[in-house]
Amino acid sequence: MMNAIRWWWGLLLAFSLLAASWAFLPLPFVNEVVIFSIYTMGCSFLLGRVGFISFGQPAYLAAGAYGTAFYLFYFGTDPYVGILIGILSGLAVSGIVGPLFVRLRSDYFALVNLALAVIFYYLMQKVLADITKGDNGLWFLTRMSSTPVLDISTPSHFFVFAFLVALAVWAFYKYLDDSIFGACCLATKINEDKLEFLGYSNYSVRLLAFIIANTTTALAGAMYAVYLGFVSPEITSPHRAPDPVVVTILGGTGTLYGPLVGAFAYTGMKDVISKLIGNWELFIGFLLVFIMLAGEKGIWGTLQPRLEKLFSGRKVGTVAGDGAEARR
Amino acid sequence: MDTQLLIPGVIFGLSIGSIFFLMAIGLSLCFGLMRIISLDQLLYYSIGAYITYSLTLTTGDVWLGILGGCGVAGVAALAVERLIFRRIYERELTFSMITSFGILIGGIGVIKYFWGVVPRPVPIPMMTQLDIAGTEVPVYRLIVIAIAGLVYGGIWLFLNRTIIGKAIRAGIENVEHVEGLGINVARLFTITFVIAGALSGLAGGLHAPLIMVEPSMGLEVLAFVFMVVIIGGLGSIKGTLVSAFIVGQVVSLGSLIYAPLAQMAPFAIMLLILLIKPTGLYGSALLKR
Repeated sequence: MMNAIRWWWGLLLAFSLLAASWAFLPLPFVNEVVIFSIYTMGCSFLLGRVGFISFGQPAYLAAGAYGTAFYLFYFGTDPYVGILIGILSGLAVSGIVGPLFVRLRSDYFALVNLALAVIFYYLMQKVLADITKGDNGLWFLTRMSSTPVLDISTPSHFFVFAFLVALAVWAFYKYLDDSIFGACCLATKINEDKLEFLGYSNYSVRLLAFIIANTTTALAGAMYAVYLGFVSPEITSPHRAPDPVVVTILGGTGTLYGPLVGAFAYTGMKDVISKLIGNWELFIGFLLVFIMLAGEKGIWGTLQPRLEKLFSGRKVGTVAGDGAEARR
Repeated sequence: MDTQLLIPGVIFGLSIGSIFFLMAIGLSLCFGLMRIISLDQLLYYSIGAYITYSLTLTTGDVWLGILGGCGVAGVAALAVERLIFRRIYERELTFSMITSFGILIGGIGVIKYFWGVVPRPVPIPMMTQLDIAGTEVPVYRLIVIAIAGLVYGGIWLFLNRTIIGKAIRAGIENVEHVEGLGINVARLFTITFVIAGALSGLAGGLHAPLIMVEPSMGLEVLAFVFMVVIIGGLGSIKGTLVSAFIVGQVVSLGSLIYAPLAQMAPFAIMLLILLIKPTGLYGSALLKR
């Protein structure tokens, strides 16, 4: 019982803070933050735990978003089924490209993913324009039927839904961290030869991690589709490709709450700075360089050890310390 | 397809390939010698184009503008190398990729601050057309191709005939041994980085009259330049040349056959080549340091 409480309390604390922010921040902002943090979680997992940097996350985001959009626009009206179909299409896309991509070295991996995002962009914008309506996008906000209990076609109920989904995603990733599979992921990042000696296959560990991370990204895409009520090729535009990478680093690569903190900071800064000086690339670009040069820990990566010290009143144990060290 | 369309198509492909080549060669050299992926080359490309625009506006001479763009881009590369890259050569590859991406985004912000977001036109320096087999071909594009050819020749001579070039080639093979011979590797890195930046600036200046100059122009070509480097194999100059012209022709002739193909076909080819030969056409299995 005590173990269960200890396992859950951090998660519950983080998410009750998030729920509290609902009271004094505008709803669209909080919704955006929750979806964005789920989007970033996949990228953070790939970069922080498996050591793969991907500049092509929009491809998987689009897979989820278009899976949902096609269902809601052409076939059905139930948004829950739409989200499920979005997740399945993300699973399918990452299952198809995964076996090809995870064999590549980390730098090639980043660029092949970028290429996939560009292919998706032109596929959705031009080649499949008959089905996807090209740049106009698919609009289905009014087609979604209201669902009993939690009516996610309204923004306030959607927030509750997104909140619960995010809590589930975080609990899942926290569980992964503690599992043998999580340890294998870290091992394949740090020393793949030693992992082979231990009898695990680098290839299958990476493939599974790739599929899990990109299915999470597709889930975020499906939620974007239902939340906004429309999907256009803009979602997979190469200009937006670096967003999740920037947020991952801003929050703290590979830390559990990094994506949440990063998404909050990034969306907030984007709002505030573009209102104040209207030139926010300048700021975010140099912030990124600064974070990298200052030790690439990010916001949460810097805060976490201090908070732990503050609350537990003792130095963090060496094993946990090494783990955190490796995850960066 | 009739020759009336084919010849301009091929020339267009060669000229666009030349510009990709000029940018990719810098990336390729940086990867080969320093083992960094320098996304900020795309920033020097934009700087070259903007300086070309401003100098053309004040002096009225596009060629002077291109020369100035090349020089300013080299100076910017020198500053970035001294301030930032000097500290991160030792780090892993993804680290340099993310940091240089930050420089790229920040630099785009600086460009927006100075020149605004409105796209700017640069006049074409030579409007004359040349008659090839009964088809009119713009001379400027031929000059761009010739300049790329000269740069390839120059780089080849530099790498094979000068002592610094030979040191760079040796450094690509094994940088520790070069250092052991008493060669100042830090200076070698600076020279390579500045050459790469200046060539990217030259590419920007040459490309400026053919397109509109706008802040995010670096991001527009990012995917294509990386594709060139990857198809050719990171770190190989010859591979870069070959793949730049393959990509140029695919973009140009692809758009003649079916317009949406122009943007997609190169990526499909890249995926295919990488799946068959994961290190690119001429790339060797270079080890990470």
